[in-house]
Amino acid sequence: MNRRDGRSVGELLLDADFTTRQVLMDVTGQDAPAMLRTWGEVVQSASELWAALPEPVRGATSPIDGVTMARLESMSQGMHRTQVRQGWPGDGPADERLLHVAETLTRAADLIGRRGGHIRPTDTAVRADLDAARMRIMHTLYVGAHGVGVAARQHVADVELSSRGKSSRESRGAPRGQDAINRLAAFEQLAGAYVGNRFARAAQGEQVRGPYGTERLQQALIGWDIQAHRTLAASPTAANLLLASRTQAGIATAAGAILHAGARTGHVDTDAYEHRLASTVDATQVAWTHVATRWAEMTSPADRTDLDLVHAAGELRAAVREVAHDKTTWARPDVMAGRVDLGEAAQHLQQALSSAVDVACVIRDVAAQDTNLTGPARAMSHRANADIDRTANRGQRGEDVVWVTPGDVYANRTVAIPEPVRAGLVDATDTLVQTAGNAMSAAACLDRVTQDRPPGSGQEPTTSRGRRHEGPTLMAQEVPRAARP
Amino acid sequence: MSNQTIDQDASDTLAAVCRLLRHAAVCAWAEAEAEGPRSHLHLLGLGIHTASCQAVAMLPADADLEGHPPAQDDVAQLLRSAEELTRSIPVLDQTAGISPLVVAICDLVREATP
Repeated sequence: MNRRDGRSVGELLLDADFTTRQVLMDVTGQDAPAMLRTWGEVVQSASELWAALPEPVRGATSPIDGVTMARLESMSQGMHRTQVRQGWPGDGPADERLLHVAETLTRAADLIGRRGGHIRPTDTAVRADLDAARMRIMHTLYVGAHGVGVAARQHVADVELSSRGKSSRESRGAPRGQDAINRLAAFEQLAGAYVGNRFARAAQGEQVRGPYGTERLQQALIGWDIQAHRTLAASPTAANLLLASRTQAGIATAAGAILHAGARTGHVDTDAYEHRLASTVDATQVAWTHVATRWAEMTSPADRTDLDLVHAAGELRAAVREVAHDKTTWARPDVMAGRVDLGEAAQHLQQALSSAVDVACVIRDVAAQDTNLTGPARAMSHRANADIDRTANRGQRGEDVVWVTPGDVYANRTVAIPEPVRAGLVDATDTLVQTAGNAMSAAACLDRVTQDRPPGSGQEPTTSRGRRHEGPTLMAQEVPRAARP
Repeated sequence: MSNQTIDQDASDTLAAVCRLLRHAAVCAWAEAEAEGPRSHLHLLGLGIHTASCQAVAMLPADADLEGHPPAQDDVAQLLRSAEELTRSIPVLDQTAGISPLVVAICDLVREATP
Protein backbone atom coordinates (compact mmCIF):
# COMPACT_ATOMS: atom_id res chain seq x y z
CA MET A 1 0.00 0.00 0.00
CA ASN A 2 1.29 3.40 -0.89
CA ARG A 3 1.37 5.49 2.28
CA ARG A 4 1.52 8.71 0.28
CA ASP A 5 -1.52 7.88 -1.80
CA GLY A 6 -3.63 11.04 -1.57
CA ARG A 7 -6.62 9.80 -3.55
CA SER A 8 -10.17 9.87 -2.24
CA VAL A 9 -12.39 6.81 -1.83
CA GLY A 10 -14.21 7.74 -5.03
CA GLU A 11 -10.97 8.00 -6.98
CA LEU A 12 -9.79 4.65 -5.63
CA LEU A 13 -13.06 2.99 -6.64
CA LEU A 14 -12.79 4.50 -10.09
CA ASP A 15 -9.22 3.22 -10.37
CA ALA A 16 -10.25 -0.31 -9.37
CA ASP A 17 -13.13 -0.32 -11.85
CA PHE A 18 -10.94 1.10 -14.61
CA THR A 19 -8.18 -1.44 -13.97
CA THR A 20 -10.56 -4.39 -14.31
CA ARG A 21 -11.78 -2.96 -17.62
CA GLN A 22 -8.20 -2.74 -18.79
CA VAL A 23 -7.61 -6.34 -17.71
CA LEU A 24 -10.61 -7.42 -19.75
CA MET A 25 -9.17 -5.74 -22.82
CA ASP A 26 -5.85 -7.52 -22.52
CA VAL A 27 -6.07 -11.11 -21.26
CA THR A 28 -4.55 -14.28 -22.63
CA GLY A 29 -4.76 -17.92 -21.62
CA GLN A 30 -1.32 -17.65 -20.08
CA ASP A 31 -2.66 -15.13 -17.56
CA ALA A 32 -5.30 -17.55 -16.21
CA PRO A 33 -3.30 -19.33 -13.45
CA ALA A 34 -2.02 -16.04 -11.99
CA MET A 35 -5.46 -14.44 -12.25
CA LEU A 36 -7.17 -17.37 -10.57
CA ARG A 37 -4.62 -17.24 -7.74
CA THR A 38 -5.31 -13.52 -7.20
CA TRP A 39 -9.06 -13.36 -7.79
CA GLY A 40 -9.89 -14.47 -4.22
CA GLU A 41 -7.97 -11.51 -2.83
CA VAL A 42 -9.93 -9.11 -5.02
CA VAL A 43 -13.26 -10.50 -3.80
CA GLN A 44 -12.14 -10.46 -0.18
CA SER A 45 -10.98 -6.84 -0.43
CA ALA A 46 -14.25 -5.87 -2.11
CA SER A 47 -16.23 -7.59 0.62
CA GLU A 48 -14.27 -5.80 3.36
CA LEU A 49 -14.81 -2.47 1.63
CA TRP A 50 -18.52 -3.19 1.26
CA ALA A 51 -18.73 -3.92 4.99
CA ALA A 52 -16.82 -0.71 5.79
CA LEU A 53 -19.33 1.51 3.96
CA PRO A 54 -21.81 3.19 6.32
CA GLU A 55 -24.93 1.07 6.78
CA PRO A 56 -28.06 2.28 4.99
CA VAL A 57 -30.60 3.93 7.26
CA ARG A 58 -33.35 1.51 8.29
CA GLY A 59 -35.97 1.20 5.60
CA ALA A 60 -33.94 3.15 3.07
CA THR A 61 -32.88 0.11 1.05
CA SER A 62 -33.92 -3.46 0.51
CA PRO A 63 -32.74 -5.93 3.19
CA ILE A 64 -31.32 -8.21 0.50
CA ASP A 65 -28.83 -5.57 -0.69
CA GLY A 66 -25.99 -6.88 1.44
CA VAL A 67 -26.77 -10.50 0.69
CA THR A 68 -25.34 -10.46 -2.84
CA MET A 69 -21.90 -9.56 -1.57
CA ALA A 70 -22.08 -12.26 1.12
CA ARG A 71 -22.98 -14.85 -1.54
CA LEU A 72 -20.18 -13.71 -3.83
CA GLU A 73 -17.68 -13.95 -1.01
CA SER A 74 -18.79 -17.46 -0.10
CA MET A 75 -18.57 -18.51 -3.77
CA SER A 76 -15.05 -17.13 -3.95
CA GLN A 77 -14.05 -18.98 -0.79
CA GLY A 78 -15.50 -22.17 -2.26
CA MET A 79 -13.42 -21.68 -5.41
CA HIS A 80 -10.33 -21.15 -3.31
CA ARG A 81 -10.93 -24.36 -1.33
CA THR A 82 -11.36 -26.28 -4.58
CA GLN A 83 -8.13 -24.84 -5.96
CA VAL A 84 -6.26 -25.91 -2.82
CA ARG A 85 -7.77 -29.42 -2.98
CA GLN A 86 -7.02 -29.88 -6.68
CA GLY A 87 -3.57 -28.32 -6.42
CA TRP A 88 -4.35 -26.14 -9.45
CA PRO A 89 -3.27 -23.53 -10.39
CA GLY A 90 -0.92 -24.11 -7.43
CA ASP A 91 1.74 -21.76 -6.14
CA GLY A 92 3.16 -19.12 -8.42
CA PRO A 93 3.20 -15.43 -9.15
CA ALA A 94 0.10 -13.31 -8.65
CA ASP A 95 -1.49 -11.23 -11.38
CA GLU A 96 -0.13 -7.74 -10.81
CA ARG A 97 -3.17 -5.97 -12.21
CA LEU A 98 -5.67 -7.83 -10.04
CA LEU A 99 -3.34 -7.42 -7.09
CA HIS A 100 -3.47 -3.68 -7.74
CA VAL A 101 -7.26 -3.81 -7.72
CA ALA A 102 -7.25 -5.68 -4.39
CA GLU A 103 -4.80 -3.21 -2.85
CA THR A 104 -6.83 -0.27 -4.12
CA LEU A 105 -10.03 -1.61 -2.59
CA THR A 106 -8.23 -2.34 0.69
CA ARG A 107 -6.89 1.22 0.69
CA ALA A 108 -10.43 2.56 0.24
CA ALA A 109 -11.71 0.39 3.12
CA ASP A 110 -8.83 1.62 5.26
CA LEU A 111 -9.68 5.24 4.47
CA ILE A 112 -13.33 4.77 5.39
CA GLY A 113 -12.41 2.87 8.55
CA ARG A 114 -10.09 5.63 9.75
CA ARG A 115 -11.83 8.76 8.52
CA GLY A 116 -15.39 7.95 7.50
CA GLY A 117 -16.82 6.91 10.87
CA HIS A 118 -18.76 10.15 11.21
CA ILE A 119 -20.69 9.74 7.95
CA ARG A 120 -24.40 9.19 8.58
CA PRO A 121 -26.32 8.40 5.40
CA THR A 122 -29.34 10.52 6.24
CA ASP A 123 -28.84 13.06 3.48
CA THR A 124 -30.12 12.12 0.01
CA ALA A 125 -26.86 13.11 -1.69
CA VAL A 126 -24.80 10.99 0.74
CA ARG A 127 -27.10 8.01 0.22
CA ALA A 128 -26.80 8.41 -3.55
CA ASP A 129 -23.03 8.55 -3.25
CA LEU A 130 -22.99 5.39 -1.14
CA ASP A 131 -25.25 3.62 -3.64
CA ALA A 132 -22.86 4.66 -6.39
CA ALA A 133 -19.90 3.33 -4.36
CA ARG A 134 -21.62 -0.05 -3.89
CA MET A 135 -22.43 -0.14 -7.57
CA ARG A 136 -18.78 0.58 -8.45
CA ILE A 137 -17.61 -2.26 -6.21
CA MET A 138 -20.09 -4.67 -7.71
CA HIS A 139 -19.27 -3.53 -11.23
CA THR A 140 -15.58 -4.07 -10.52
CA LEU A 141 -16.33 -7.65 -9.49
CA TYR A 142 -18.67 -8.17 -12.44
CA VAL A 143 -16.15 -7.03 -15.04
CA GLY A 144 -13.24 -8.64 -13.17
CA ALA A 145 -14.98 -12.04 -13.01
CA HIS A 146 -15.66 -11.82 -16.73
CA GLY A 147 -12.00 -11.03 -17.39
CA VAL A 148 -10.78 -13.98 -15.32
CA GLY A 149 -13.38 -16.18 -17.04
CA VAL A 150 -12.14 -15.11 -20.49
CA ALA A 151 -8.57 -15.93 -19.47
CA ALA A 152 -9.66 -19.34 -18.10
CA ARG A 153 -11.58 -20.17 -21.29
CA GLN A 154 -8.58 -19.23 -23.40
CA HIS A 155 -6.35 -21.29 -21.13
CA VAL A 156 -8.58 -24.38 -21.49
CA ALA A 157 -8.61 -23.97 -25.27
CA ASP A 158 -4.80 -23.69 -25.28
CA VAL A 159 -4.42 -26.81 -23.09
CA GLU A 160 -6.84 -28.82 -25.23
CA LEU A 161 -4.98 -27.83 -28.37
CA SER A 162 -1.55 -28.56 -27.00
CA SER A 163 -2.43 -31.84 -25.24
CA ARG A 164 -4.44 -33.44 -28.03
CA GLY A 165 -3.42 -37.11 -28.18
CA LYS A 166 -1.25 -36.84 -25.07
CA SER A 167 -1.49 -38.43 -21.64
CA SER A 168 -4.26 -37.60 -19.16
CA ARG A 169 -1.62 -36.09 -16.87
CA GLU A 170 -0.82 -33.48 -19.50
CA SER A 171 -4.45 -32.75 -20.34
CA ARG A 172 -5.83 -32.61 -16.81
CA GLY A 173 -5.60 -28.80 -16.79
CA ALA A 174 -8.62 -28.74 -19.13
CA PRO A 175 -11.29 -30.16 -16.76
CA ARG A 176 -9.88 -28.15 -13.85
CA GLY A 177 -10.07 -25.02 -15.94
CA GLN A 178 -13.59 -25.91 -17.05
CA ASP A 179 -14.64 -26.14 -13.41
CA ALA A 180 -13.20 -22.66 -12.76
CA ILE A 181 -15.00 -21.32 -15.85
CA ASN A 182 -18.36 -22.61 -14.64
CA ARG A 183 -17.94 -21.17 -11.17
CA LEU A 184 -16.77 -17.83 -12.53
CA ALA A 185 -19.76 -17.75 -14.86
CA ALA A 186 -22.09 -18.23 -11.87
CA PHE A 187 -20.22 -15.51 -10.00
CA GLU A 188 -20.54 -13.18 -12.98
CA GLN A 189 -24.27 -13.88 -13.28
CA LEU A 190 -24.84 -13.03 -9.64
CA ALA A 191 -22.83 -9.81 -9.74
CA GLY A 192 -24.43 -8.95 -13.10
CA ALA A 193 -27.89 -9.35 -11.58
CA TYR A 194 -27.03 -6.68 -9.01
CA VAL A 195 -25.62 -4.34 -11.63
CA GLY A 196 -28.46 -5.02 -14.08
CA ASN A 197 -29.35 -1.85 -15.93
CA ARG A 198 -28.93 0.34 -12.85
CA PHE A 199 -25.25 1.17 -13.29
CA ALA A 200 -25.67 4.47 -15.13
CA ARG A 201 -28.41 5.68 -12.79
CA ALA A 202 -26.43 4.78 -9.66
CA ALA A 203 -23.26 6.36 -11.05
CA GLN A 204 -25.14 9.64 -11.49
CA GLY A 205 -25.32 9.92 -7.72
CA GLU A 206 -21.53 9.79 -7.43
CA GLN A 207 -20.17 12.94 -5.83
CA VAL A 208 -17.45 14.15 -8.17
CA ARG A 209 -15.67 17.25 -7.06
CA GLY A 210 -13.81 18.98 -9.86
CA PRO A 211 -11.94 22.22 -9.41
CA TYR A 212 -14.35 25.05 -8.63
CA GLY A 213 -14.19 28.35 -10.48
CA THR A 214 -10.67 29.54 -10.93
CA GLU A 215 -9.15 26.73 -8.87
CA ARG A 216 -7.76 24.98 -11.93
CA LEU A 217 -6.15 28.17 -13.20
CA GLN A 218 -4.62 28.77 -9.78
CA GLN A 219 -3.33 25.21 -9.53
CA ALA A 220 -1.92 25.35 -13.05
CA LEU A 221 -0.11 28.64 -12.40
CA ILE A 222 1.37 27.38 -9.15
CA GLY A 223 2.27 24.03 -10.71
CA TRP A 224 3.97 25.80 -13.60
CA ASP A 225 5.95 28.08 -11.29
CA ILE A 226 7.24 25.18 -9.22
CA GLN A 227 8.11 23.06 -12.26
CA ALA A 228 9.83 25.94 -14.06
CA HIS A 229 12.06 26.52 -11.05
CA ARG A 230 12.81 22.81 -10.70
CA THR A 231 13.64 22.30 -14.36
CA LEU A 232 15.74 25.44 -14.70
CA ALA A 233 17.67 24.53 -11.55
CA ALA A 234 18.37 20.98 -12.71
CA SER A 235 18.70 21.39 -16.47
CA PRO A 236 18.95 24.95 -17.82
CA THR A 237 19.22 23.92 -21.47
CA ALA A 238 18.22 26.20 -24.32
CA ALA A 239 15.22 23.95 -25.08
CA ASN A 240 13.93 24.21 -21.51
CA LEU A 241 14.61 27.93 -21.40
CA LEU A 242 12.73 28.36 -24.68
CA LEU A 243 9.64 26.60 -23.35
CA ALA A 244 9.86 28.47 -20.04
CA SER A 245 10.05 31.82 -21.81
CA ARG A 246 7.28 31.01 -24.27
CA THR A 247 5.00 29.84 -21.47
CA GLN A 248 5.71 32.97 -19.44
CA ALA A 249 4.85 35.00 -22.54
CA GLY A 250 1.64 32.97 -22.76
CA ILE A 251 0.84 33.79 -19.13
CA ALA A 252 1.31 37.49 -19.88
CA THR A 253 -0.92 37.19 -22.97
CA ALA A 254 -3.60 35.42 -20.95
CA ALA A 255 -3.26 37.96 -18.15
CA GLY A 256 -3.83 40.76 -20.66
CA ALA A 257 -6.96 39.10 -22.06
CA ILE A 258 -8.46 38.12 -18.70
CA LEU A 259 -7.72 41.47 -17.04
CA HIS A 260 -9.25 43.21 -20.06
CA ALA A 261 -12.39 41.13 -19.62
CA GLY A 262 -12.32 41.86 -15.88
CA ALA A 263 -12.13 45.59 -16.55
CA ARG A 264 -14.99 45.42 -19.03
CA THR A 265 -17.25 43.56 -16.62
CA GLY A 266 -16.43 45.50 -13.47
CA HIS A 267 -14.26 42.90 -11.76
CA VAL A 268 -11.06 44.88 -12.25
CA ASP A 269 -10.67 48.61 -11.83
CA THR A 270 -10.99 50.13 -15.30
CA ASP A 271 -8.74 53.07 -14.60
CA ALA A 272 -5.97 50.93 -13.13
CA TYR A 273 -6.27 48.55 -16.03
CA GLU A 274 -6.16 51.18 -18.75
CA HIS A 275 -3.42 53.34 -17.27
CA ARG A 276 -1.13 50.89 -15.54
CA LEU A 277 -1.88 47.23 -16.08
CA ALA A 278 -2.47 46.98 -19.82
CA SER A 279 0.76 48.63 -20.95
CA THR A 280 3.05 46.92 -18.42
CA VAL A 281 1.58 43.47 -18.99
CA ASP A 282 1.93 43.93 -22.74
CA ALA A 283 5.51 45.12 -22.33
CA THR A 284 6.45 42.07 -20.27
CA GLN A 285 4.82 39.84 -22.89
CA VAL A 286 6.96 41.41 -25.60
CA ALA A 287 10.09 41.02 -23.46
CA TRP A 288 9.38 37.35 -22.77
CA THR A 289 8.77 36.75 -26.48
CA HIS A 290 12.03 38.48 -27.39
CA VAL A 291 14.00 36.35 -24.90
CA ALA A 292 12.25 33.21 -26.16
CA THR A 293 13.32 34.06 -29.71
CA ARG A 294 16.92 34.28 -28.51
CA TRP A 295 16.74 30.86 -26.86
CA ALA A 296 15.07 29.41 -29.95
CA GLU A 297 18.13 30.36 -32.01
CA MET A 298 20.25 28.27 -29.67
CA THR A 299 18.21 25.09 -30.03
CA SER A 300 18.41 22.46 -32.70
CA PRO A 301 15.35 20.47 -33.84
CA ALA A 302 16.42 17.30 -32.03
CA ASP A 303 16.88 19.00 -28.63
CA ARG A 304 14.82 17.42 -25.86
CA THR A 305 12.64 19.38 -23.50
CA ASP A 306 11.93 18.21 -19.95
CA LEU A 307 8.61 16.37 -20.21
CA ASP A 308 7.51 17.50 -16.74
CA LEU A 309 7.93 21.07 -17.94
CA VAL A 310 6.01 20.22 -21.12
CA HIS A 311 3.13 18.78 -19.08
CA ALA A 312 3.06 21.77 -16.73
CA ALA A 313 2.92 24.12 -19.74
CA GLY A 314 0.17 21.99 -21.31
CA GLU A 315 -1.93 22.08 -18.15
CA LEU A 316 -1.47 25.82 -17.85
CA ARG A 317 -2.58 26.33 -21.43
CA ALA A 318 -5.61 24.11 -20.90
CA ALA A 319 -6.56 26.01 -17.73
CA VAL A 320 -6.32 29.34 -19.55
CA ARG A 321 -8.39 28.04 -22.44
CA GLU A 322 -11.07 26.83 -20.04
CA VAL A 323 -11.50 30.37 -18.75
CA ALA A 324 -10.65 32.59 -21.67
CA HIS A 325 -11.14 30.81 -25.01
CA ASP A 326 -14.16 30.32 -27.17
CA LYS A 327 -13.60 28.04 -30.15
CA THR A 328 -10.71 29.58 -32.08
CA THR A 329 -10.18 32.88 -30.30
CA TRP A 330 -10.69 34.74 -27.01
CA ALA A 331 -14.10 34.49 -25.42
CA ARG A 332 -16.13 37.68 -25.04
CA PRO A 333 -15.71 39.41 -21.66
CA ASP A 334 -19.24 38.53 -20.54
CA VAL A 335 -18.68 34.88 -21.50
CA MET A 336 -15.50 34.78 -19.39
CA ALA A 337 -17.31 36.48 -16.51
CA GLY A 338 -20.05 33.86 -16.76
CA ARG A 339 -17.52 31.07 -16.35
CA VAL A 340 -15.47 32.24 -13.40
CA ASP A 341 -15.15 35.12 -10.96
CA LEU A 342 -12.76 37.34 -12.91
CA GLY A 343 -11.78 39.21 -9.76
CA GLU A 344 -10.53 35.95 -8.29
CA ALA A 345 -8.78 35.08 -11.57
CA ALA A 346 -7.13 38.52 -11.49
CA GLN A 347 -5.71 37.76 -8.05
CA HIS A 348 -4.20 34.50 -9.26
CA LEU A 349 -2.72 36.29 -12.25
CA GLN A 350 -1.32 38.98 -10.00
CA GLN A 351 0.56 36.25 -8.09
CA ALA A 352 1.73 34.76 -11.37
CA LEU A 353 3.03 38.14 -12.52
CA SER A 354 4.94 38.43 -9.23
CA SER A 355 6.50 34.99 -9.50
CA ALA A 356 7.40 35.75 -13.12
CA VAL A 357 9.99 38.22 -11.82
CA ASP A 358 11.81 35.41 -10.08
CA VAL A 359 11.72 33.19 -13.15
CA ALA A 360 13.09 36.12 -15.17
CA CYS A 361 15.94 36.52 -12.67
CA VAL A 362 16.76 32.81 -12.89
CA ILE A 363 16.85 33.06 -16.69
CA ARG A 364 19.03 36.16 -16.56
CA ASP A 365 21.46 34.35 -14.24
CA VAL A 366 21.67 31.45 -16.67
CA ALA A 367 22.27 33.85 -19.57
CA ALA A 368 24.99 35.69 -17.68
CA GLN A 369 26.76 32.90 -15.87
CA ASP A 370 26.17 29.50 -17.44
CA THR A 371 29.36 28.59 -19.27
CA ASN A 372 27.78 25.53 -20.89
CA LEU A 373 25.43 27.43 -23.18
CA THR A 374 25.77 26.25 -26.76
CA GLY A 375 24.02 26.68 -30.08
CA PRO A 376 24.20 25.60 -33.73
CA ALA A 377 27.23 27.21 -35.41
CA ARG A 378 25.36 28.84 -38.30
CA ALA A 379 22.73 30.47 -36.12
CA MET A 380 25.37 31.58 -33.63
CA SER A 381 27.55 33.08 -36.34
CA HIS A 382 24.57 34.90 -37.84
CA ARG A 383 23.46 36.21 -34.45
CA ALA A 384 26.97 37.28 -33.44
CA ASN A 385 27.35 39.30 -36.65
CA ALA A 386 23.90 40.84 -36.24
CA ASP A 387 24.65 41.85 -32.65
CA ILE A 388 28.01 43.31 -33.65
CA ASP A 389 26.32 45.31 -36.42
CA ARG A 390 23.77 46.55 -33.89
CA THR A 391 26.45 47.81 -31.51
CA ALA A 392 28.36 49.27 -34.48
CA ASN A 393 25.26 51.29 -35.37
CA ARG A 394 25.38 52.68 -31.86
CA GLY A 395 28.86 53.95 -32.62
CA GLN A 396 30.92 51.20 -30.99
CA ARG A 397 32.82 49.71 -33.88
CA GLY A 398 35.14 46.91 -32.73
CA GLU A 399 37.73 44.80 -34.46
CA ASP A 400 36.78 42.17 -37.03
CA VAL A 401 36.73 38.89 -35.13
CA VAL A 402 35.75 35.46 -36.41
CA TRP A 403 33.44 34.22 -33.66
CA VAL A 404 32.65 30.86 -35.24
CA THR A 405 35.13 29.00 -37.41
CA PRO A 406 34.20 28.36 -41.05
CA GLY A 407 34.56 24.62 -40.43
CA ASP A 408 31.98 24.73 -37.64
CA VAL A 409 29.66 26.84 -39.78
CA TYR A 410 30.02 24.46 -42.72
CA ALA A 411 29.20 21.40 -40.60
CA ASN A 412 26.77 23.39 -38.43
CA ARG A 413 28.37 21.92 -35.30
CA THR A 414 27.18 22.78 -31.83
CA VAL A 415 29.48 25.49 -30.48
CA ALA A 416 29.80 27.51 -27.29
CA ILE A 417 27.87 30.76 -27.68
CA PRO A 418 30.12 33.61 -28.88
CA GLU A 419 30.67 36.59 -26.62
CA PRO A 420 28.44 39.04 -28.59
CA VAL A 421 25.59 36.53 -28.48
CA ARG A 422 25.89 36.21 -24.72
CA ALA A 423 26.03 39.99 -24.35
CA GLY A 424 22.88 40.34 -26.44
CA LEU A 425 21.19 37.64 -24.39
CA VAL A 426 22.09 39.36 -21.14
CA ASP A 427 20.76 42.65 -22.52
CA ALA A 428 17.48 40.99 -23.44
CA THR A 429 17.12 39.30 -20.05
CA ASP A 430 17.98 42.53 -18.22
CA THR A 431 15.12 44.22 -20.06
CA LEU A 432 12.93 41.25 -19.23
CA VAL A 433 13.64 41.50 -15.49
CA GLN A 434 12.90 45.20 -15.62
CA THR A 435 9.59 44.84 -17.45
CA ALA A 436 8.52 41.88 -15.31
CA GLY A 437 9.20 44.02 -12.23
CA ASN A 438 7.09 46.81 -13.68
CA ALA A 439 4.22 44.41 -14.37
CA MET A 440 4.44 43.07 -10.82
CA SER A 441 4.28 46.58 -9.40
CA ALA A 442 1.33 47.55 -11.57
CA ALA A 443 -0.52 44.34 -10.72
CA ALA A 444 -0.16 44.98 -6.98
CA CYS A 445 -3.33 47.07 -7.19
CA LEU A 446 -5.35 43.99 -8.15
CA ASP A 447 -5.44 42.79 -4.57
CA ARG A 448 -7.08 45.96 -3.31
CA VAL A 449 -9.41 46.21 -6.26
CA THR A 450 -10.77 42.78 -5.49
CA GLN A 451 -11.05 43.44 -1.79
CA ASP A 452 -12.81 46.76 -2.35
CA ARG A 453 -15.31 45.27 -4.75
CA PRO A 454 -18.69 45.13 -2.97
CA PRO A 455 -20.24 41.68 -2.76
CA GLY A 456 -22.60 40.97 -5.60
CA SER A 457 -21.09 43.54 -7.91
CA GLY A 458 -20.67 41.44 -10.93
CA GLN A 459 -21.43 42.39 -14.42
CA GLU A 460 -21.78 46.18 -14.16
CA PRO A 461 -18.87 48.05 -15.66
CA THR A 462 -17.02 50.21 -13.19
CA THR A 463 -15.71 53.51 -14.33
CA SER A 464 -15.48 55.69 -11.26
CA ARG A 465 -13.58 53.64 -8.73
CA GLY A 466 -10.19 54.28 -10.21
CA ARG A 467 -9.31 57.18 -7.96
CA ARG A 468 -9.65 55.08 -4.85
CA HIS A 469 -6.64 53.07 -5.90
CA GLU A 470 -4.26 55.86 -6.56
CA GLY A 471 -2.04 55.01 -3.64
CA PRO A 472 1.70 54.80 -3.96
CA THR A 473 2.49 52.15 -6.53
CA LEU A 474 5.89 50.72 -7.11
CA MET A 475 6.64 51.42 -10.70
CA ALA A 476 9.82 50.32 -12.35
CA GLN A 477 10.92 48.44 -9.28
CA GLU A 478 14.66 48.39 -8.88
CA VAL A 479 15.90 44.90 -9.53
CA PRO A 480 19.58 44.13 -9.13
CA ARG A 481 21.32 43.52 -12.43
CA ALA A 482 23.47 40.50 -12.97
CA ALA A 483 27.16 40.99 -13.49
CA ARG A 484 28.01 40.89 -17.16
CA PRO A 485 30.51 38.40 -18.35
CA MET B 1 14.36 10.61 -22.45
CA SER B 2 14.28 8.91 -25.83
CA ASN B 3 12.76 5.82 -27.38
CA GLN B 4 15.25 3.31 -28.79
CA THR B 5 12.69 0.61 -29.56
CA ILE B 6 10.50 2.39 -32.11
CA ASP B 7 10.72 0.84 -35.60
CA GLN B 8 12.22 2.70 -38.55
CA ASP B 9 8.98 3.45 -40.43
CA ALA B 10 7.22 4.82 -37.39
CA SER B 11 10.34 6.76 -36.46
CA ASP B 12 10.60 8.37 -39.91
CA THR B 13 6.91 9.29 -39.89
CA LEU B 14 7.14 10.72 -36.39
CA ALA B 15 10.20 12.72 -37.39
CA ALA B 16 8.17 14.22 -40.24
CA VAL B 17 5.40 15.04 -37.75
CA CYS B 18 8.00 16.77 -35.56
CA ARG B 19 9.22 18.89 -38.48
CA LEU B 20 5.67 19.92 -39.37
CA LEU B 21 4.79 20.79 -35.78
CA ARG B 22 7.99 22.72 -35.24
CA HIS B 23 7.39 24.75 -38.37
CA ALA B 24 3.72 25.26 -37.47
CA ALA B 25 4.77 26.63 -34.05
CA VAL B 26 7.24 29.02 -35.69
CA CYS B 27 4.54 30.23 -38.13
CA ALA B 28 1.95 30.64 -35.37
CA TRP B 29 4.37 32.65 -33.27
CA ALA B 30 5.36 34.80 -36.24
CA GLU B 31 1.69 35.61 -36.89
CA ALA B 32 1.15 36.23 -33.18
CA GLU B 33 4.04 38.68 -33.00
CA ALA B 34 2.66 40.52 -36.03
CA GLU B 35 -0.76 40.76 -34.34
CA GLY B 36 0.65 41.97 -31.02
CA PRO B 37 1.02 40.79 -27.42
CA ARG B 38 -2.70 40.03 -26.98
CA SER B 39 -2.95 37.66 -29.93
CA HIS B 40 -4.50 34.32 -29.06
CA LEU B 41 -1.99 32.79 -31.49
CA HIS B 42 0.70 33.03 -28.80
CA LEU B 43 -1.11 30.30 -26.88
CA LEU B 44 -1.80 28.31 -30.04
CA GLY B 45 1.93 28.41 -30.80
CA LEU B 46 2.67 27.26 -27.28
CA GLY B 47 0.27 24.34 -27.70
CA ILE B 48 1.89 23.32 -30.98
CA HIS B 49 5.35 23.60 -29.44
CA THR B 50 4.43 21.38 -26.48
CA ALA B 51 2.99 18.80 -28.91
CA SER B 52 6.24 18.98 -30.85
CA CYS B 53 8.22 18.37 -27.62
CA GLN B 54 6.05 15.34 -26.90
CA ALA B 55 6.71 13.98 -30.39
CA VAL B 56 10.49 14.52 -30.16
CA ALA B 57 10.55 12.68 -26.82
CA MET B 58 9.17 9.58 -28.55
CA LEU B 59 12.04 9.42 -31.04
CA PRO B 60 15.44 7.74 -30.69
CA ALA B 61 18.24 10.01 -29.49
CA ASP B 62 19.93 9.94 -32.91
CA ALA B 63 16.81 10.75 -34.94
CA ASP B 64 17.46 13.12 -37.83
CA LEU B 65 15.18 16.14 -37.53
CA GLU B 66 17.23 18.54 -39.62
CA GLY B 67 16.31 19.48 -43.15
CA HIS B 68 14.44 22.22 -44.92
CA PRO B 69 11.25 23.42 -43.26
CA PRO B 70 8.02 22.62 -45.12
CA ALA B 71 7.09 25.10 -47.85
CA GLN B 72 3.60 25.53 -46.42
CA ASP B 73 3.09 28.43 -43.96
CA ASP B 74 -0.57 27.93 -43.17
CA VAL B 75 -0.69 26.80 -39.54
CA ALA B 76 -4.00 24.94 -39.85
CA GLN B 77 -2.81 23.14 -42.98
CA LEU B 78 0.47 22.14 -41.32
CA LEU B 79 -1.43 20.75 -38.35
CA ARG B 80 -3.80 18.84 -40.61
CA SER B 81 -0.81 17.35 -42.45
CA ALA B 82 0.76 16.32 -39.13
CA GLU B 83 -2.50 14.71 -38.05
CA GLU B 84 -2.77 12.80 -41.33
CA LEU B 85 0.75 11.48 -40.88
CA THR B 86 0.03 10.21 -37.37
CA ARG B 87 -2.70 7.96 -38.78
CA SER B 88 -0.06 5.62 -40.17
CA ILE B 89 1.75 5.22 -36.84
CA PRO B 90 0.57 2.06 -35.07
CA VAL B 91 -0.45 2.12 -31.41
CA LEU B 92 2.04 -0.32 -29.91
CA ASP B 93 4.23 -0.60 -26.83
CA GLN B 94 7.08 0.79 -28.95
CA THR B 95 5.06 3.88 -29.80
CA ALA B 96 3.80 4.52 -26.28
CA GLY B 97 2.66 8.12 -26.02
CA ILE B 98 1.25 8.33 -29.54
CA SER B 99 -2.38 8.45 -28.39
CA PRO B 100 -2.01 11.61 -26.26
CA LEU B 101 -0.03 13.15 -29.12
CA VAL B 102 -2.79 12.38 -31.64
CA VAL B 103 -5.40 13.83 -29.27
CA ALA B 104 -3.26 16.94 -28.76
CA ILE B 105 -2.83 17.45 -32.51
CA CYS B 106 -6.56 16.94 -33.17
CA ASP B 107 -7.35 19.53 -30.49
CA LEU B 108 -4.90 21.92 -32.13
CA VAL B 109 -6.47 21.35 -35.56
CA ARG B 110 -9.86 22.24 -34.08
CA GLU B 111 -8.39 25.27 -32.35
CA ALA B 112 -6.67 26.52 -35.50
CA THR B 113 -9.55 25.95 -37.91
CA PRO B 114 -12.05 28.80 -37.99
